[in-house]
Amino acid sequence: MDDLLTEFVAETREMLGALASEVVAWEADPADRARLDTIFRFVHTVKGNCGFFDFPRLAALSHAAEDALADVRAGQRSADRRLVDAVLAVLDRIGAMIEEIERGASLDDGNDEPLIAALKGEAEPADAPASMPAGSTPVSPATAEQRTIRLPVELIDQVMSGVSEMVLARNDLARRMQAMGGDCGLEAPFSRLSALLSEVRDAITRTRMRRIDGLFATFPRLVRDLSADLGKQVFVELENGEVELDREMIELIRDPLVHIIRNAVDHGIESPAERRAAGKREAGLLTVSARQTGNTIHIGIMDDGRGIDADRLAAKALAAGIRTGEQIAAMSREEKIELVYEPGLSTAESVTAISGRGVGMDVVRANIEKFGGSLEIESLPGEGTRFQIRVPLTLSILPSVTVEAGGQTFAVPRSYVEEIVSTAGGNLEFDEVGDRRFLTFRGRRLPCISLGETFGLADVGAGEDEDASLFMILRLGWGDFYALAVDRIFDHHELVIKPLSPGIMQCGLFVGCTQLDDGTPVLVLDVAAIGYGAGIPRELRRPGIAAVAATPAEREALRVVLLHGLDGERRAIAMSAVEQVERVASAAVRHPGPGARIVLGEEILPLAGVSGTGDLPEWLTVLRLGDGQRRVAYAAREVLEIASLTGAVSPVEGRPGLAGVTLIDGEPAELVDCHALFARHANAAAPALSCRLAGEADGWMRSFLGPIVEAAGYRIAAEGEPADIAFIEDEDGGAAAGIRKAIRLSDRPEDVPGAGIYRYDRAALMAALLRAGQELAA
Amino acid sequence: MSVMMLVVVIAGRRTGLPAPAVNSVIDLASITPVPRAAPHVAGLAALRSRPLTVIDCRAALGLEPEGGAAARRRAVVVEHEGHLYGLLVDAADAIVASRAEAGPIGADPGPGWREVASGRIETEAGALLVLDLAVLIQGVGARAAAA
Repeated sequence: MDDLLTEFVAETREMLGALASEVVAWEADPADRARLDTIFRFVHTVKGNCGFFDFPRLAALSHAAEDALADVRAGQRSADRRLVDAVLAVLDRIGAMIEEIERGASLDDGNDEPLIAALKGEAEPADAPASMPAGSTPVSPATAEQRTIRLPVELIDQVMSGVSEMVLARNDLARRMQAMGGDCGLEAPFSRLSALLSEVRDAITRTRMRRIDGLFATFPRLVRDLSADLGKQVFVELENGEVELDREMIELIRDPLVHIIRNAVDHGIESPAERRAAGKREAGLLTVSARQTGNTIHIGIMDDGRGIDADRLAAKALAAGIRTGEQIAAMSREEKIELVYEPGLSTAESVTAISGRGVGMDVVRANIEKFGGSLEIESLPGEGTRFQIRVPLTLSILPSVTVEAGGQTFAVPRSYVEEIVSTAGGNLEFDEVGDRRFLTFRGRRLPCISLGETFGLADVGAGEDEDASLFMILRLGWGDFYALAVDRIFDHHELVIKPLSPGIMQCGLFVGCTQLDDGTPVLVLDVAAIGYGAGIPRELRRPGIAAVAATPAEREALRVVLLHGLDGERRAIAMSAVEQVERVASAAVRHPGPGARIVLGEEILPLAGVSGTGDLPEWLTVLRLGDGQRRVAYAAREVLEIASLTGAVSPVEGRPGLAGVTLIDGEPAELVDCHALFARHANAAAPALSCRLAGEADGWMRSFLGPIVEAAGYRIAAEGEPADIAFIEDEDGGAAAGIRKAIRLSDRPEDVPGAGIYRYDRAALMAALLRAGQELAA
Repeated sequence: MSVMMLVVVIAGRRTGLPAPAVNSVIDLASITPVPRAAPHVAGLAALRSRPLTVIDCRAALGLEPEGGAAARRRAVVVEHEGHLYGLLVDAADAIVASRAEAGPIGADPGPGWREVASGRIETEAGALLVLDLAVLIQGVGARAAAA
């Protein structure tokens, strides 16, 4: 919060400085609308920031000035001498307060009442501009916290582009050195130069860039306070706060964002009672997301509130004389929504302390457009409103994936790439609907777009194999997905994005261009424009949101018990399967290994999680798992905690007992496959059928047949122990004593009637084992 | 007052660009095509670390292609509204001094030329049409379509 405050102080002081000349000009000509607007925006911004920090005096003062100026803007009051004086006095007072704040002094007990009264036109303003509070000294003491200087952005730009040139020159040099081959004696100084250059580039990049999450992090608190004041419930969801943005740009978008969020909470999201009546859940959802495309940052603010009432806006515009009846009759719904940008128009029935009188949107848009951005509003009645702010980022490093289509290389911003899939594995499903191809991916049908076709490029790669292609699953804002088919995918790069000339921007498919290491220019795709241009539907409501109840993340996640296995691995078992956890002495374990059993009280359960090798610790932690009918025990060294499984589970090859590996609290954990566990162990459970491997002598049975027998759910009987079934060799003839069923093996592959099963006919062996098990159980 | 003019040959005709407007004359090694761009936009190239939008002047004039942009590599680099452009020309070698200020074109120079020329100037090397950079970059065809 401290650096936010520092920024607030610096920003306010800068604005005051810039305002000084405006104030003088306004004083000379109070009817000057442009000057009035500038001063109005200033007090409006200060008011907005005050609500954010806790400066009630400053807030009251700026609110009063805003009220007075708004009246003048609305033509309800003329800017007379007294008002001008009062406003000037307020500006001076704000300046004095800012000094106080910077020194860390508290803004105590100053009396602003006379000033506020003067603004309201009720009293003469104090003669002199506000005096400093008693005891304060106007000298700002030097702070030794962090030494900073302010630099013009152009200078940093110049340095940055110089460094970019140097990187290219270095790459050129590297290529030439390589062409010279072998040893030219320059390698060591070159690599030193190279490393230094990278450092300089990183540093100069950092001077400009900052993660947007610093800004985003302040929103939940803002929304909490606002919604508490208004008696509403609002969840805030922040997405991709990792996007990096120009420092300067972060400062510029702060106010517009705060303003839009205030409006969304105040006017957009309904009260819990209204929401219930409308069949929504009581808590509203506000999503703030950031995404980078080339040199544009898209910031989305979406609420699921009542939406903008276009007709009421139109009626207000008519009443205020901003539009004529004919004009309104000719307007589309979108055009009516655009009316929110008209100064002095608001759909809010009442003026509240939070979003004021609806002066917001014209100021907000003016602020955004001032630095080359744009603001779009989409709204569906009853469903919600989404604001999309685009701000330029002329100089940025963009993590990208380079791809090839039609023999040409393009770059795709990595923030859009959800996943890359290939048809090579043959496990992708396609559907044709008309001419459109759909790819089924994680249970969703995604429309496919071929990059080569979109660009009208010759399909050079597809000649030999029509079906083998690569798809990038792209996620646009708001959960619109599509699959982009490309010929090849090269690599990840950190690319410096340069703006394109207007002639190329016109075609609307690119956001910028960049250069590869060898200096070749590469176009950066505007994947949103390509997707929507090819007819991907826009979904205002993200799928699934309506269905998710109060705490979305908690409800959805699988609860797991986190433990350390006997082998020291971190594992997770679905919580719902665990019935009981207890400490057991290792003496209770019988037959350590795949066929292990454990005695738990009256029960003998199959025990999983123990390997045949290695000693057991003296005491084990045993989890009793159940599926409602059967039970299996799972051995562990210790139970760690109960956690939520939030991340994706990636499958692992060749580990049949594991569902996969996932990240829990940032560390990998193996997720135990309960289904496989029960399929394997519960089968043989209580009492397990045992199998004697008779031809013990030649060892073949134990080493070759043993695994198959165990896989079929049998326990291998110890020597001399009576067994349920046994394998016997052709030559042996008679069955050994204590055997309930025998399976005869044969040495010869030929199918001889009466002879046993050929010893290497795996399928037949498995079938015989299972059949024997069923017959014995019956 | 004398003005220095760069003599630029486009489609076999000699024309002139004011020398101060010209950044440099280079031979482009390679051009990256831009899909779905206007026909006179030959593609992108790079001048050191800055992107260069390559304009095929012959196509910009709305003339029939002859030999194609691929054959031409000589480019005049100019800066226009903050962006760098490379104008593909047949030749650009001489800089000459003008004998007078640029004046009206006079007789109609023919299709394409009449849109792209802002005037006529007398130089040591004879009369030259003075090219209008903005029109050349936008392309005559695009302008006609917009009108």
